[in-house]
Amino acid sequence: MRVFEGLYYVKRNTAMHRLDPRAKLVYVLCITILSTAVFHTALPMIMLFISVIPLAVEGRVLRRLLSTLRGGAMLAAFIFIFNFIGRLWNIGFVSPSSPEFLEALMPSLAMALRFLTLIATFSIFFLTTSPDDFAQALVQMRLPYDYALTFTMAMRFIPTLAREAQIVADAQKSRGLELEKGGFMQRIRNYIPILVPLIVSSFRRAETIADAMESRAFGASKKRSFLYMLRFKLSDTLFSAICIAITAAIIWLRLSSFLPP
Amino acid sequence: MVSALPPAVIFEQVSYKYPRSEEYSLKKVNLRIEQGEFAVITGPSGCGKSTLCKCINGLIPHSYGGTFKGKVIVHGKCTLEHPVYELAQLVGLVFQDPESQLFCSTVEKEIAFGLENLGLPREEILARVEEALDLLGIAHLRYRAPYELSGGEQQKVAIASCIAMRPKVLVLDEPTANLDPLSAKSVLDVVYALNKKLGVTVILVEHRLEMISHLASKLVVMYRGEVLTQGPPRKVLFSWKILEIGVGLPKPLLIALMLAEKGFPIEAPPLLPEELVELVAGGEER
Repeated sequence: MRVFEGLYYVKRNTAMHRLDPRAKLVYVLCITILSTAVFHTALPMIMLFISVIPLAVEGRVLRRLLSTLRGGAMLAAFIFIFNFIGRLWNIGFVSPSSPEFLEALMPSLAMALRFLTLIATFSIFFLTTSPDDFAQALVQMRLPYDYALTFTMAMRFIPTLAREAQIVADAQKSRGLELEKGGFMQRIRNYIPILVPLIVSSFRRAETIADAMESRAFGASKKRSFLYMLRFKLSDTLFSAICIAITAAIIWLRLSSFLPP
Repeated sequence: MVSALPPAVIFEQVSYKYPRSEEYSLKKVNLRIEQGEFAVITGPSGCGKSTLCKCINGLIPHSYGGTFKGKVIVHGKCTLEHPVYELAQLVGLVFQDPESQLFCSTVEKEIAFGLENLGLPREEILARVEEALDLLGIAHLRYRAPYELSGGEQQKVAIASCIAMRPKVLVLDEPTANLDPLSAKSVLDVVYALNKKLGVTVILVEHRLEMISHLASKLVVMYRGEVLTQGPPRKVLFSWKILEIGVGLPKPLLIALMLAEKGFPIEAPPLLPEELVELVAGGEER
C-alpha cells in the first residue's frame, strides 16, 4: 500500500503548497506531455525524472516521495523486465555484448523511468494539494459539484472506514477468525467475514449521509455558492507561464533535433 | 402568548409504512407542538421516534417512499407539498450517529455546507458560520477535522450546522445515544440554551429523562408506533405503566411512585433529586 502514501496530502506551508492547484496541473500536464509524447529514450527520461526532485524538496515532501517511489519500484521493475523480454523475443536472443542487446535494453529502461517520472509528478501534486483545494479547482474548471463532492467525501471517509475495518476485524478475530491461516487463496477468503459487514455498514452509513445532506438543503439552489474560492494569483500565472515556456522550448529543440528523441 | 401563534408542528392522523415493510411504523399519530416549545419524545427502541423525526422535515415520504397517510404541517406548510430542501430551511435535523452526519473536511466547511447549498453570498456565510460557532461554544474547533473530534463535540458541530441555517424548529434524534454522561449533559445544556436564547422550537428524542425531563415543556411517550400519552412531564411520567413499557424513569420519580404506593401523599411528583429530598424532608416536619 506504499504507493498510495504518495497520494495523501501533507499539510505544510511552502510555495508549492500555496500554488493554485490549477497551476500545478499545468506543470503535471507539461511533464506528462514531455515524458509520453516527446521523448522515448532513457537519457531524456533520466533528465525529466531529476527535474522533478527540486519541487519535492521545495514542498518538503521528499521523504514521502521517496517512499512512494520505493512502492512504485516493484511495478517499474516489472515494466522493465516484460518490455526487455518482449524486445529480446522479437529480435531473437542475442549475446549481451552485441549492439542489438543494448537496443532492447535502453528503451525498456526508458519505459520504466517514464513510469517513475509520472508517479513522482502526480505524487508531488497530491502531496502538496489538499483534497478540498483540488475539488474546488475541479469545480472552478466547470466540473459538476456533485463529482467534486464525491471525491472529497471519499477522502474524508478513508480514516472512518479504516477504523471500522479494524473494529470488525477485532470482533471476528475474537470469535476465532484466523487471517494468517492457509495458502494464498485461503488467505484471501479469510477476509470475507470482514468485508461483508464492512460493506453492509457502509451502505447504511451512506444512507445516513444522504439524509444529513438533504436535511441541510442539498440541491436547493442551481447556483451554489462557496465559502472559499480559489484565486489565480500572479505567482500562479508566472509559474504556469514558465512551465509552458520551458516545455515549448524543449519541444522546439527536440523538433529541430538539438535533443535526442 | 405562545398559543396566539400558529403551532410549529402538527401531525394529523399520520400513519406510515416503510417500503418492503409489513407493519406500520407510525399509526394514526396526532401531535401538536407550539412555537418555542421544548418537547421531549421518549419511548422504547423501535417505537417510531426516528420515523417521526424524519417526517418533520419531509425526508419521509419524499426520500423514503413507502405508504404515507395523514398530514404533517410545519409552520403552515404541508410537508407533502414542499421538497426537503425547502423544509430544511425551516427544520434542522440532528441525527443519532455523530460521525456519519458530518462529511466535510473541516468544522467550518461543515457549518457552511447548508448555507452554500442555499447560494448565500460569501460574507453572509462567513458571518453565520461565526455566529453558529459562538452560539455552540465551539469556536476553537473551527479548523479541526470533524472525524478527529469527540462524540460530544461532533454533536455540537452537527447542531451548529443546522442552527447556521436559522431554522424555526430544531429536531434532535437521540443526540446523546453514543455519548458519556458528561458530554451528554453538555450537549443537552447547549440545546436548552438555544431554545431559551433564540426561541427556536426544540423537539428532542431522548432516553436520558433524568437529565432533561424537568426542562421539557411537553413530554410525549411513544409505544409501538402510537403516541401513548403526552402532556406536562411530571404528570405523564408519574405512572407505573410508563415504566412497564420500558421507559427509564428518573430515579426520584420512581422512589416517589413507591412512596405513593405506601400511602405517602405526593402532590407534585419530583423529577430532580433536590425535589425528592424536599418532599421527604418536608413530610417529616409535618
